[in-house]
Amino acid sequence: MLRNIWAHRADYAYVLPAIAVMLIVIAYPIYYTVELSFYKTPPGLQLRDKTFIGFDNYTTILTSEVFWKVTWNTLIWTFGSTFISFVLGFATALALHRDFVGRGVLRAILIIPWVISAVAASYIWKWIYHSDFGIIGAVLVGLGLADRPPNFIDNVSTVLPSLIVVNIWREFPFAMIMMMAGLQTVPDQLLRAAKVDGANAWQRFWHVTFPHLRNVSVVTILLLAVANFNSFIIPWIMTGGGPSNASHIWITHIYELAFGRQRWGVASAYSVLLFLILMALGYFYVRALSGNERKEGRA
Amino acid sequence: MTRIMLGSAVLRGTVVGVLAASLMSTSALGAPPVDLSKWSPEYVRSIAGTQDFDTAGDCAKVTPLDYKGRLTFWYQGVFEGDPDLLRQYYKDFFETFRKTYPNIQLEEQALTYNDLLDKFRTALLGNAAPMAVRLQILGGTEFASKGYLQPLKPEDVGYSTEDFWPGAMKAVTWDGVTYGVPTNNETMAFIWNADIFKRAGLDPDKAPATWDDVVKYSKQIHDKLGIAGYGLVARKNAGNTPYRFMPQLWAYGGGVFDEATANPTYKEVELDSPQSKAALQASYDMYVRDKSVPVSALTNQQADNQPLFVAGQLGMMISHPSDYNVMLDLQAKATGTDKDKAQTVIDNMRYGLVPTGPDGKRAVVFGGSNIHILKPEYVEGGKVDEPAAKAMICMWASPEWSLKMAYAGSNPGNLNGFKTKWMKERLDHIKFLDVTTSMLPYGIPFPALPESPEIMNIIIPDMLQNALTGAMTVDQAADDAAKKVKDLMGGL
Repeated sequence: MLRNIWAHRADYAYVLPAIAVMLIVIAYPIYYTVELSFYKTPPGLQLRDKTFIGFDNYTTILTSEVFWKVTWNTLIWTFGSTFISFVLGFATALALHRDFVGRGVLRAILIIPWVISAVAASYIWKWIYHSDFGIIGAVLVGLGLADRPPNFIDNVSTVLPSLIVVNIWREFPFAMIMMMAGLQTVPDQLLRAAKVDGANAWQRFWHVTFPHLRNVSVVTILLLAVANFNSFIIPWIMTGGGPSNASHIWITHIYELAFGRQRWGVASAYSVLLFLILMALGYFYVRALSGNERKEGRA
Repeated sequence: MTRIMLGSAVLRGTVVGVLAASLMSTSALGAPPVDLSKWSPEYVRSIAGTQDFDTAGDCAKVTPLDYKGRLTFWYQGVFEGDPDLLRQYYKDFFETFRKTYPNIQLEEQALTYNDLLDKFRTALLGNAAPMAVRLQILGGTEFASKGYLQPLKPEDVGYSTEDFWPGAMKAVTWDGVTYGVPTNNETMAFIWNADIFKRAGLDPDKAPATWDDVVKYSKQIHDKLGIAGYGLVARKNAGNTPYRFMPQLWAYGGGVFDEATANPTYKEVELDSPQSKAALQASYDMYVRDKSVPVSALTNQQADNQPLFVAGQLGMMISHPSDYNVMLDLQAKATGTDKDKAQTVIDNMRYGLVPTGPDGKRAVVFGGSNIHILKPEYVEGGKVDEPAAKAMICMWASPEWSLKMAYAGSNPGNLNGFKTKWMKERLDHIKFLDVTTSMLPYGIPFPALPESPEIMNIIIPDMLQNALTGAMTVDQAADDAAKKVKDLMGGL
């Protein structure tokens, strides 16, 4: 092996700086987070005064009421955002796949939410939703459809769905672009042949188009899921996890534990759990990509 | 014509009580440059403009003006809720510092109130902190207790401990050692729209006397006019929330600990006391029962209430000294008919003392900021240029600049600032300043504990949110918060 490395020393020398950088900015933080997750870090002490407590932080997390509430929120947030973004993006991609006047303009307009900064979008939506003088409330009251503006983000029942709507608005263009790219790969002659054979529009979609899009769909869903699991900006800016923790998801809760409450050990344990979940999703993502490559190789 | 609303008894400075004693009667009060026992608007006016100070000359005695060095400095700077006037003074200060100390390479960074603590804590973990930092009053004890700060007292930068408010000195003292110098101190007052009061059938020139009155007035305004009565704020991780709820808590006789007493021990948690629950109940009554406050209170902060107030959609709120200037800025930015509406609101602005509790107890948060010097091992590069840091602190805490930097938004931390000509000018130009300075003796510092930031920024807002959203009853929310504080103090 060493001989092999020596034989390719020039190649290794080329990638060495990149590996070194990755070790510093990726591997070390991961190692340190895992290490920290086994320590108690009282907020009144410096981090260097931490004490080893084994798996206590993990036990604390798994037995805490907040953990299950935040986990439930995270699941609703992730699956809600991912599923609806994908369906909406897919539907839009199908609609835009057909030729019509103004298709390019419409496509460009639909991409706007995705290219807007998440921070700016969060502030804009915060004002749209504002419980006292938001645009939606003003319109509804103005049209006589409501006595007072609806309470979107200051209510424990409506806050999470309201944030999911914002997230979907931002994310569906990504799904749309991915699926539009996928639709380009569906062979036109197959669709025409199916039509000649008497297949209706639904049958053509289900038996011809959709099978061709299976892999790109899996990749899109996995990418959306990973992004949503890790999505910090929208919930943090719009509600800070409130009211009453109703919109706290894992990532915002970890941030508050670490930087607001200085429970570095517990926050690290949370991060390790999140890391494992994301690694699992990453594994499926890589498998989906490999599947694509194998399929293309066979073709 | 707008009038300043003050009770005559308060004007005479006779009803100060235990709260003032906590602020003034400390051993540090040797020979202050001003007589705090005479504190009243008249007294403040009588001392304004009576003394000249040579800032550069005074600071040259601390750090020679030709000193060559480098300083990294973070500070809690102006944010969206501050008036433009304050922005200009910050700009002027740094320009003047660079002219006064041309050989000190200054690398300053402004951070907002809500971001500073998070960023500073993170930098400390990586030993990448600045050499000096100006923190909110709440933060000093946390970092001093953890050993990040160097001992630093006013005498180290050319001043005397007696030059500063005793309450402010408490906030920079940990375990008997002083770790910082106060730059500014303020207390808030109460602001209301006389026109809204009149239209709601209330006396336009009379502030609600008690917090129970605030609840009643808020309901009356909402029921009669359909707008929000009182500007409640309950966002988490926002300094505005404790600054507005704690006065209410203390007025009802409650507290997190015994911080509202003359000699607090911080031993017993009192958040679950009947008095604390009564204060929380008042907020609940306004938000849930009467629906007479902004619904957005749970996600908003004071900067969101200001436009509501200037738009004539909010009757009253606890107000920062700078709010009058903020209203003027907002009015200047308005267009069309909005401009006239805003002017009407400004003409109808009234300032008064923060209401009392049922037993006549009046309280307000004694706020402000302090400057600290870091220990070298936590600073990027491992070195602290102490003379450069002291030059900066001497200038900022000087009578001249501690006044100018607080011109529209606060009060000078250095009591000599009240004697400067700029104070005199300020009294003529900043409307309602008398009221906010009158509240100073009622100021109660946050508990001088390292756990205070978590208590004030997270536990108190959580308690409010739990009660106001119905996630818990008032009793449960108060008990839950008390338990969290006990756990925190127990090291959990």
